Amino acid sequence: MISRPQRLLWPLLLGPSLGWAQFASTGTTTLSVTIDSAAAIRIDTPTTTLTTAGSTFAAAYTGTTNFTFKLRTSQASGTGSITLQVTADFSPANGPTVAGGDALTYTCTAASGTACSGPVSASTSSATAVASFGANAHSATAGDAGSTSWSLENLPRYVTGTYSATVTYTISAT
Amino acid sequence: MLGSSLNLVRRLSPRFRRWGSCVLAGLLSVGSGTTATSTRNQTLSAAISPNGKLSVPGSVALISAGGPTFPAFTGTLIVSYRARTTPGGSGAITLQITSDFSPAGGPSGSGGDLTYTCTGASLGTNCSGVQAAGTLSATPLVTIPASACTGGGGVCSVADPNTAQANFVLANYPAFQTGTYSAVLTFVISAT
Repeated sequence: MISRPQRLLWPLLLGPSLGWAQFASTGTTTLSVTIDSAAAIRIDTPTTTLTTAGSTFAAAYTGTTNFTFKLRTSQASGTGSITLQVTADFSPANGPTVAGGDALTYTCTAASGTACSGPVSASTSSATAVASFGANAHSATAGDAGSTSWSLENLPRYVTGTYSATVTYTISAT
Repeated sequence: MLGSSLNLVRRLSPRFRRWGSCVLAGLLSVGSGTTATSTRNQTLSAAISPNGKLSVPGSVALISAGGPTFPAFTGTLIVSYRARTTPGGSGAITLQITSDFSPAGGPSGSGGDLTYTCTGASLGTNCSGVQAAGTLSATPLVTIPASACTGGGGVCSVADPNTAQANFVLANYPAFQTGTYSAVLTFVISAT
């Protein structure tokens, strides 16, 4: 049978070992990290100027937007995509208008993944494809290059002047 | 008192006289009233040698702030330590990747993906600048000077134990395969 004095002694014997860190000449720590899917894009051509090569209306206005992207999709079942959308139509008025049906099309290149099969008609109402990626896709550490080459039809009804639109590129990865 | 005791013994019968004499002799030898003392000096000496001990948490998780720019993974670790160095000695706390990140396909310590800075040493000096944690050799965390000691204040530190912080940065490369990876770091303290 354990006497009362012996019971009182137990916390004194066990307490220090329970609440005191173990000090030694060496110690080890396990570092852990979880790598998730991720994606980032940088537009390298802040302003893409569309120019026409000829003086006939048959010659469309053309130009190229360059971008660099980084991407990492999940090993087993990940996917990725780059899309674009005309988020602000040409302004001022009386020039080209994408929402009004004037043809603004593009073709795509991408150093990795699958570039769009163009020409693709740009839209103000929905995003359209630039590139797509499958599972376990990885760009280079510094990023991979891509581009969209634009073509805007040259219509006689355009009032002369300078017009601008905004195109938003979106990259995603799962 | 002695005379009266002896007279008492004389008046007893021979048998009781012998018994009484023995008892009287025993009482006289025990209760005589004098104490003999003797002293000796003993010299105690202790050689206090340098020493160092540390404690680290069992695990640290590196976390990314997230976002579209592939931000690095970061995490901090507190090392608790006690040290005592001689007037001509020194001490140090170092770390080394003793087991690189696994499984394969993710970060690599031997590839230089893990760096750290040192802050908050309450005894000694933090390591300087950005250190690359490696698998081949130990790298510094804290340098402890001569005549250093932990705890008690005065010539020693007030803090007991002392603490220092390692701030880890792990690169976040697109090339890493998704998944969870682990590496083992070993911390060593020395004191002379």
